[in-house]
Amino acid sequence: MTPAPAVARDLAPAALALARRFAAGATLWCLSPQWPSHAAHVAVEFVHPVIVGKQALPAEAVTAPDPVAVLRANVRSGDVILAISDARNHVVADVLRRAGAWGADTIWVGAGERPTAGAAGHVLWLDCDAAGAGPLFVRIYHLLWELAHVCLEHKGLLAATDPTECDGPVCITCSDEGRLAEVLSADDDEATVRTAEGRERVDITLLGPARPGDLLLVHAGTAITSLEEEGR
Amino acid sequence: MTTEPTAFLYPFIDSEERDKEGLLVDLARSAEEKWGESDRLTAETLARCDQQVHDAAAAIVERVRDGGRIFTFGNGGSATDAGAAAQQFSSPPHGEAVPARSLADAPSILTALANDIGVAAVFSRQLIACAGRADVAVGFSTSGGSENVLAAFGEARRRGMLTIGFSGYEGGRMATCPDIDHCFIARSDSVHRIQEAQAALLDALWGAVQQELARTSFQEASL
Repeated sequence: MTPAPAVARDLAPAALALARRFAAGATLWCLSPQWPSHAAHVAVEFVHPVIVGKQALPAEAVTAPDPVAVLRANVRSGDVILAISDARNHVVADVLRRAGAWGADTIWVGAGERPTAGAAGHVLWLDCDAAGAGPLFVRIYHLLWELAHVCLEHKGLLAATDPTECDGPVCITCSDEGRLAEVLSADDDEATVRTAEGRERVDITLLGPARPGDLLLVHAGTAITSLEEEGR
Repeated sequence: MTTEPTAFLYPFIDSEERDKEGLLVDLARSAEEKWGESDRLTAETLARCDQQVHDAAAAIVERVRDGGRIFTFGNGGSATDAGAAAQQFSSPPHGEAVPARSLADAPSILTALANDIGVAAVFSRQLIACAGRADVAVGFSTSGGSENVLAAFGEARRRGMLTIGFSGYEGGRMATCPDIDHCFIARSDSVHRIQEAQAALLDALWGAVQQELARTSFQEASL
């Protein structure tokens, strides 16, 4: 029998992060535009555990035609978004790039060509062709559920925040970085944006016109970079 | 959990920090063990069911060539496996598409039937409305004992459908059910490992159906 692939080990930190978010009140949002049944399967695992006595946890599969709109309206800061797709799925990529502005952690399960580094908080990836990976996707999210429930029994570790882990704008290692923001509305000089911390007014004079849905990096009340493509 | 009174002075070396690393090591080892367990169960199940897979595939293709369609069903995680199966057959990544749909995918129908008749009728009643003798019933139950899945097989038999079941444990009531023509059993007592092996079995069945479709389409072309 061949040894377990690297994804089995990668499940450990993803499960602990997920359990910590659940302990703090998170909802898990499940998304798989290519294989909606997988998203529905993940949701039922958490909401109605197969093992009697395990805690029911909030999870929901997003199968609507416009997942970005549904998630933008429903995701609360501290939630987790889990996507299952190949690396080229544009809907998933669009959700994951916005997740930081919504304050959501992200887990990306997939196969084949890998996503770019940093595309999701936790990347659980198989080397095989995505088209035939269905049975292994089931295995990955079953194990994620099993390991997350092990973590939930280690109550002392759930609330702990590592001093080595970045935890927002006061982190000494990233205080010079911009925070991700999604534009809600904008006029010539200022925009109302959504960040992980909530709504803010920011100065956009450095960037010029901004439109609802645009992603910006903001620092000290000022938008310093637009993440939208030129001439979009 | 005990913590030294002075631990707060040394946040990087306190016991909780070390415990977290220990937990991550344990979790990774556990994940690798379970992965291996799933590998073994899947390999054993596919080897044991190989002939059965080919027999069922030939029977499915016979129905499909006769205008038949595949109806899948199951509850909970098995409902989503039924949905995945219907997608695999009707929207395959390659090969020939086969008409297939899941009876577990429409909340409007499921809630109407569950509310008005009872949960035992949610699949069988849909077969009465939609399916006929050329069609194929594919039902999933990890326990092999889901009432509504067994009821659907009973209705499928009455309608003259081909019937294929996916079960777990020792097969449960599905193993000896006279209404099921081909019953695949993933022999485990873990619901998760059973579903993982069933997913691999379904993949193998789909592959065998594709082979049989290609073989019989050649035969048809050479007539």
